Amino acid sequence: MSNSSFNNLFVGEWLSGEGLDSDLVISSRVRLARNLPDIPYGNVADDRQKAQVADRLQDAIDSLRPGLNLDTVHLEEIDQIQRQVLVERHLISRELALGSGPRVVSYDEHEAISLMGNEEDHLRIQVVKSGYRLEEAWSEMDQLEKALDGELQFAFDQQYGYLTACPTNTGTGLRASVMMHLPALVITGQIEEVTRAATKIHLAVRGLFGEGTEAQGDFFQISNQRTLGLSEEEILAGIASVLPNILTYERKLRVELLDRKREWLEDKIGRAYGILSHARVITSQEALEHLSLIRLGVCIGVLEQLDLEQVNRMFLFSQPGHLQAQGGHELPSDERDTRRAAELSKILREVR
Amino acid sequence: MLCEKCQKNEVAVHLTDIVNQTKKQYHLCKECAGFHGVSIQAQMKKHKEQFTLPEFYSSPETIMELSDGEDGGTNCPDCGMTYSRFRKEGKFGCSHDYDVFRTDLDELLKKIHDSNQHRGRAPGRFRKQISRKVQLTQLREELTQAVSDEQFEKAAAIRDQMRLLESHR
Repeated sequence: MSNSSFNNLFVGEWLSGEGLDSDLVISSRVRLARNLPDIPYGNVADDRQKAQVADRLQDAIDSLRPGLNLDTVHLEEIDQIQRQVLVERHLISRELALGSGPRVVSYDEHEAISLMGNEEDHLRIQVVKSGYRLEEAWSEMDQLEKALDGELQFAFDQQYGYLTACPTNTGTGLRASVMMHLPALVITGQIEEVTRAATKIHLAVRGLFGEGTEAQGDFFQISNQRTLGLSEEEILAGIASVLPNILTYERKLRVELLDRKREWLEDKIGRAYGILSHARVITSQEALEHLSLIRLGVCIGVLEQLDLEQVNRMFLFSQPGHLQAQGGHELPSDERDTRRAAELSKILREVR
Repeated sequence: MLCEKCQKNEVAVHLTDIVNQTKKQYHLCKECAGFHGVSIQAQMKKHKEQFTLPEFYSSPETIMELSDGEDGGTNCPDCGMTYSRFRKEGKFGCSHDYDVFRTDLDELLKKIHDSNQHRGRAPGRFRKQISRKVQLTQLREELTQAVSDEQFEKAAAIRDQMRLLESHR
C-alpha cells in the first residue's frame, strides 16, 4: 500500500453518516470467525503454516472476482503507523496489528468488507455499514461466507458448529455489534442502567475499538456474548430487541435536555467548539470528548454549520495513526497533540 | 489493604461466604487463607465441577497457582494441546482439540453459552446429516410420548420410521 492512499481524504462508507438512525448509530458490524480444518490455529501455528493460510485465503479471494474485488495488504510488510491507520479505520483488529508472522487483510474500495487472515482464527470476515443496518450487513455476509466456504471448507462440527480458537466464539462464530453515540444518556447518568439491562440479556457493552476497550467520548458498542445454541437470526434479533429502546431513550433525554437545560447544553457545546477551534495542543482523549459534544450539537441543531460526515471525519483524522500518516512519519506524542490541534482548528475555521 | 486475621500481610484472597442466605466477606493474606483451608487451589480442587470457566476469566494470581499443579490428561495428537494448557490460555490449538476434549467441553461450553448444541447455519456438505439428526431426535421424543400414552401401534410406526432414517446413513 502506498503512502498516498492513507493521505487521501476518502473515509470508509461506515463513516459517511448515512443510514437509518445515523444521528445515534455510527455503524453496524457483523463478523464471523472461521478456520481451515487441517492447520493449527494462530497461537500454535508456525510462520510456514501461517503463510499457507494466507495463500489459501488469497486463492479463495481471487475466486470471488470479478463480482467482488478485494485488495490484500500483508501486515508484516507495512510499518506500524500504517497498521495503526488500518485499526483506526476498523479494517483490522488490534490483535492482528500486534500479531507476528504472515498476517493479511483484504478489503473492498468502500472499506465495508474486510477479511483478516491469521488473527487468532485463520479467517475473520467482517461487514460494516454506516447507521443502523445490521440486517443489511448480515445479508451481505451471508452471501460472502457461502461463497468462501465453497472454496475453503471451514472447520465444522455437528454438535459445536463452526470451530474457533476461543470457546467464546464457538458455534456461529458470529459477533454482531452496533456502535452508538449516546451523550445524553451519559450526561444524565442513565448509561449504567442501559449497560445493566443489556448485560442481563447476554449482550456486552464495550468501547470504540471493541473487545477489551473502554468507552470513550460517549461511544458504546453493543454486541452479543453468546455464539452457541442460537441461530444467526436469533443473535441479530437479540440486538434488535433492545436497540430501539436505547435509541428512544437517548432521543427522549436529548429533547428533555433541550427543554429544561437548553442554555446549559448550548454552553457546553459552544465551549467544546471554542476549545477545538482555538486549542494549540490537544490529546486524543480530550479531542474525543469535545468532538462528542460537537456531534451532539450537530444532531440537535445547535451547530448548523457542520454535518455528520465532517464530524466523523474529524474523529478519524484526530486519531494518532491518521495524524502520523498525514505527516508522513512517526511523531512523538507531544508533537501529535500539537498537530491534532492544528488539524481540528483548521477544519472548524474552514466551515465557519 | 492488610489481612484481617494477622494484620501483617497484604490481602491476597477475597472470600465471599454465603451461610443461611447471609453474605460474609473475608479479606485474607495468602498464608492465613492457606492456614484456614481456603487457598484458591484447595477450593478449585474441592469444587472442580463448578470451576469450569476458562482460567482467563480469573485473576493472574489464580493462574499462577494452578500452573504449578500437575498437568495430566490427554494431548491432542495433531497440535499437542493439553486440556490444562487450553484452560490456562483460553485458546484451542487446532480444530481437532474439540474432538479430543469433547467430554470436558460439553460442560465448559454450557457455562459460557448456556448451551452446547449448535443451532445456526451449517456448510452445505453438513446440512443433510444435521436435518437427519434433528428428525431422529424429534422422532425419539414422539416415540417416548406414544409409549407412555400406550399408543403402541403409533409407537411401532415411529420405530420403523427411525430405522429407515438410520439405515440411510
